[in-house]
Amino acid sequence: MTRCLSLMVGVAVAGTWLLGGGVLSADAQTEIALTVENHRFQPEEITVKAGTPFVLVITNKDKSPEEFESHDLRIEKVIPAGKTVRLKMPALKPGTYGFVGEYHAQTAKGRIVAE
Amino acid sequence: MGATFVITLREAFEASLILGIVYTYLEKIEARDNYRYVTWGGVLGLLVSVGMGIGVGYLSGPLLDLGPDLVGAAVIFAAVGLLTWHAWWMQQHARAIRGQVQHRIDEARAAQRLWMVGLIAFTGVFREGAETVLFLWGIMAQAASPDGWGSLLGGATGVATAAALGWAIFHGGKHLSLSKFFAVTTVFILLLAAGLFSTGIGRLQGLGFLPLGEPVWDTSALLSDRTVLGSFLTGLVGYRARPSALEAIGYVAYLVTAAGLIWGRGFRSGDGQRQPAISIASRPDPGPTAKVASQRATAVRGDTDSTARGPANSS
Repeated sequence: MTRCLSLMVGVAVAGTWLLGGGVLSADAQTEIALTVENHRFQPEEITVKAGTPFVLVITNKDKSPEEFESHDLRIEKVIPAGKTVRLKMPALKPGTYGFVGEYHAQTAKGRIVAE
Repeated sequence: MGATFVITLREAFEASLILGIVYTYLEKIEARDNYRYVTWGGVLGLLVSVGMGIGVGYLSGPLLDLGPDLVGAAVIFAAVGLLTWHAWWMQQHARAIRGQVQHRIDEARAAQRLWMVGLIAFTGVFREGAETVLFLWGIMAQAASPDGWGSLLGGATGVATAAALGWAIFHGGKHLSLSKFFAVTTVFILLLAAGLFSTGIGRLQGLGFLPLGEPVWDTSALLSDRTVLGSFLTGLVGYRARPSALEAIGYVAYLVTAAGLIWGRGFRSGDGQRQPAISIASRPDPGPTAKVASQRATAVRGDTDSTARGPANSS
């Protein structure tokens, strides 16, 4: 019981610490813009340099929320209507990484090509 | 319609599974009065999900970039902690109520901690709740078109199917014997929690807090975790079609640790006092010290017996 609680507190403390680190280290990285409009991504293909972390700046121009999801990259990120989010992306190995807008997966599809 | 059905079914299945398990647990320990903890926990989880779904639209900057994700990751690990605690407690409880005292549940002790079960219900619903709310909200916005109505119907059917599955678990669980129910649910909960733990690791990888790396295996051609069956297995036992090394290691490490915590301790604390005498007696050739010890043990037992018999004889 006590162990469980201290575990939870530990996770919370670690989370806060990581939040600080995450925000600070987000500076000075290449930013790539991605737009959601009419439930489609624009552009649908993003080319990045392999081995270099970058920031994906996603703007949702639709009137409903969208969820940027990349199963391969373990990313699930809700972008509320009319909002912009900045997603820190890891250094990728050369290859193609698909993503979808989960709320409109039939139309909202795209891929990141790392080369 | 089919796509939205799969999505909401997947999102709501885990919550429904958890609610089914905790309701049945309360039914089993004859604490039906305490259903309200689970109901309140679930309702509160739903309300907070709606609140977060709306609230997230008012966030911006780093708070929007990371805030919801950190809350999401924290909820996952909190759920893992709570489920582990619940499994551990059930195991302790199972030992206490085994045998003659099967029906003498210590209500006071139970009531004292049952609010924790409500917390489990809360995390279970809240975990995917906000996402499901936003998703349903999104398809409701398009409901004007004929296609939109189909999507909405699919989404609603998905949630209803998940709820029906939770109900089926509740109904099925009611007919199991108490000890069987405890044994089965403990295993169930540990597998579910192991899957959640590995999901939590995946989230931390997605947030860049842990390295991702290559998948250890790829069974997505055989059974993708985006299909209905794959989704069920993901919710039930934490199935992954393309797990990363850390996710797979986390899954196994959690199971080993939790099983050790729950069953390992039980062996030591179960019949702690009698164990030394038994182990000495069962040795093929006990040494002189052991003989003395076992004689002492017999003597002590004899004393206790005569004391116990004492009053009966005198009356």
